[in-house]
Amino acid sequence: MSSAFDFPGGIYPPQRKQRSNQAALIEAPLPSRVALPLLQHSGKPATPCVTSGDLVKVGSVIAKREGLISCDLHASISGTVMEVTATQVVIESDGKDTWQRLPAMDWHSVEPYQLLSRLNESGIVGLGGAGFPTHIKARVMEQHAIHTLVINAAECEPYITADDLTLRSYPAEVLEGAQIMAKLCAAERIIIGIEDNKPDAIEALQNALTPSLPIPIELSIIATRYPSGGERQLIKKLLNVNVPSDGLPADVGVLCHNPGTLLAILHAVRDGQPLVSRVVTLTGEAIEHPGNRWIRLGTSVREVLEQAGINLSGPNQSKLHQVIQGGPMMGTPLLTLDSPVTKLTNCLIAATLEELPPAPTEVPCIRCGECESVCPVALLPQQLHWYARAKDDDKLERYHLFDCIECGACSYVCPSHIPLVADYREAKSRIRIQRIETAKAEHARHRFEFRQARLAREEAEKKARREARQAQNRRSPTQASSSSEAIDLRGLRIAHAAAKASVKKAEKTLARVAQQDPNQSLDDLEMQLATAQENLRAAELQLAQAREQQPSKESP
Amino acid sequence: MSDTFDGISMLSAIAVLTGLGIGFGALLGVVSERFKREDNPLVEQIDALLPQTQCGQCGYPGCRPYAEAINQGDALNKCPPGGEATILALADLLGREPEPLDGEAQSEATVAFIREAECIGCTKCIQACPVDAIIGAAKLMHTVIEDECTGCDLCLDPCPVDCIDMLPRSAPITQWQPVTTPAHNVIASDRPNTLGGVHVERL
Repeated sequence: MSSAFDFPGGIYPPQRKQRSNQAALIEAPLPSRVALPLLQHSGKPATPCVTSGDLVKVGSVIAKREGLISCDLHASISGTVMEVTATQVVIESDGKDTWQRLPAMDWHSVEPYQLLSRLNESGIVGLGGAGFPTHIKARVMEQHAIHTLVINAAECEPYITADDLTLRSYPAEVLEGAQIMAKLCAAERIIIGIEDNKPDAIEALQNALTPSLPIPIELSIIATRYPSGGERQLIKKLLNVNVPSDGLPADVGVLCHNPGTLLAILHAVRDGQPLVSRVVTLTGEAIEHPGNRWIRLGTSVREVLEQAGINLSGPNQSKLHQVIQGGPMMGTPLLTLDSPVTKLTNCLIAATLEELPPAPTEVPCIRCGECESVCPVALLPQQLHWYARAKDDDKLERYHLFDCIECGACSYVCPSHIPLVADYREAKSRIRIQRIETAKAEHARHRFEFRQARLAREEAEKKARREARQAQNRRSPTQASSSSEAIDLRGLRIAHAAAKASVKKAEKTLARVAQQDPNQSLDDLEMQLATAQENLRAAELQLAQAREQQPSKESP
Repeated sequence: MSDTFDGISMLSAIAVLTGLGIGFGALLGVVSERFKREDNPLVEQIDALLPQTQCGQCGYPGCRPYAEAINQGDALNKCPPGGEATILALADLLGREPEPLDGEAQSEATVAFIREAECIGCTKCIQACPVDAIIGAAKLMHTVIEDECTGCDLCLDPCPVDCIDMLPRSAPITQWQPVTTPAHNVIASDRPNTLGGVHVERL
């Protein structure tokens, strides 16, 4: 099926994939030392569960997931833990490469919960670059009905060929991994979206597609255009479905997975092998032996590049200008070559100065509108640019800044060389931090209100006890004093009713929110309920006391 | 004939309009009594803009009382933790002129930290904390829950042994804000002189 659907915008940058897709996929030599950052996924960092001096094998858990969105981390070489810091675990190799695997599993026969718990333990994240923990994505069917699983093999960014080589080397395995995920989320069909610049991978997939597969797989070849590998763009192109602005693909019944992730899922389920290595594209003019390698996580970028034939010192030093992690459009230049390869590193580009020259000096926007015509999300990059520079956050949100996928198409075509995406990234992080601050202030307000309510209740209780003591001491009630005090019984009764109503309201809100989204933190709502209960208790005490003092007036 | 007709129609028009006026007036009066709100929604809005440190630097015991005071006409510039941004937001909401901040602006967010070795366990700071962020018991050392502390300084004064410090608040690395260089001066006359350092004056 060649698709007739299309997403807006898009650009055609030079592909430059030839350099890395010629050599076969090989294993990189074992590193002697790995540094494994605790945050290699989106969400909260994992908590280390080893201490320095511990002996670990390949696949031993070294950090446990923490909180709702997080992911386990496993040792990628066997040896001794040298250092555990707040951000990373360093392991020195013993050179033996002994493995610790989980028991193998036959995914055809096991229950879904067993598959889920296996994914929980395997530390797999989306290997396309975003790094969302896969075990959470696999549980999506608890909330949404999924009809289609999309294998995102578009790999639209220039230079990167990791998915291409994965599909050429392991087509049947990737398809089997897709069957596992499709079974887990009860999808009816699987669609592979692949760009037409990967003929070898397409051929390999066509050979691997057999009619005996339980869930039908469809191969959809799309025209090469950046950024067709964006999740929303690919879904639009393959299925002509728009994913809502603040929603997820799961809201329209679609789930996207990267081929590398599916391969890792199969390895985790079939062989019990957690995620300890990944395919990385090594490319760029400064490298002598470009290609794709299986690299153990935590290997330093310097070591990886030196193995690929780069001279960092000496007389015939390579003309290295910068190393980019990820693609040239969305990747980030590395500040130091000592940073490790992580679960998110799909490509390392060692570029020379002529290959990827630095952007010329920015000049003023001439309002040509080029950026608007290439934006794949149909935003107005120009307006966003003005508002981002002016820090006009309300306007930015009204112009849907958070729908921006940071693909870089607008910066690529800008004739004034304005770093538009850098502006948007900065504005996004500023707004995000502001939201966190607002939430924090709101939380402090609830705690303050709770404290006030608690103090009022304690005061009321103290007063009640005192009155009771006095009444006992006196025995003969002196009506004169209490009747002279004008006690506003009606006001107290109204306050009591209002307090009761607010407790009911708080209970209702809590129940509603808890039902809507069980994963959400309910601290603040629980605090509000507790505050309302304290208020009610205080009102009850005051009312009871007032009634005692005025028994005659109470009965009409 | 037509005169009397006009007179009657005019009278009836006056009567109908007066009747409508009285009727709707009564309806509005009844409704405003019946659905009276205890709390003032404007106070809620003002309160939402305040930083909720509950520090009392404005002279009121907490942010909500200050919000009520602003609603009564008090000045907008008494909130140092909120700083310039809060004043501007309040001025925008209330349609008043923004005034310069009364007091010193805080340069960074801080939290209280108790030097536990010196704490004598007097519980005075616990009673002073407006958000219950200090835990401990009599004659046992106290400590501050960093995530709950608003950095209001209210625990500093009651401490008899001065064992509380205000330290900069630590932020997780995921909340890191990139340091960006301001945009270049893109208007030619704003640029630094480039012609070999010679300032070319217009003749």
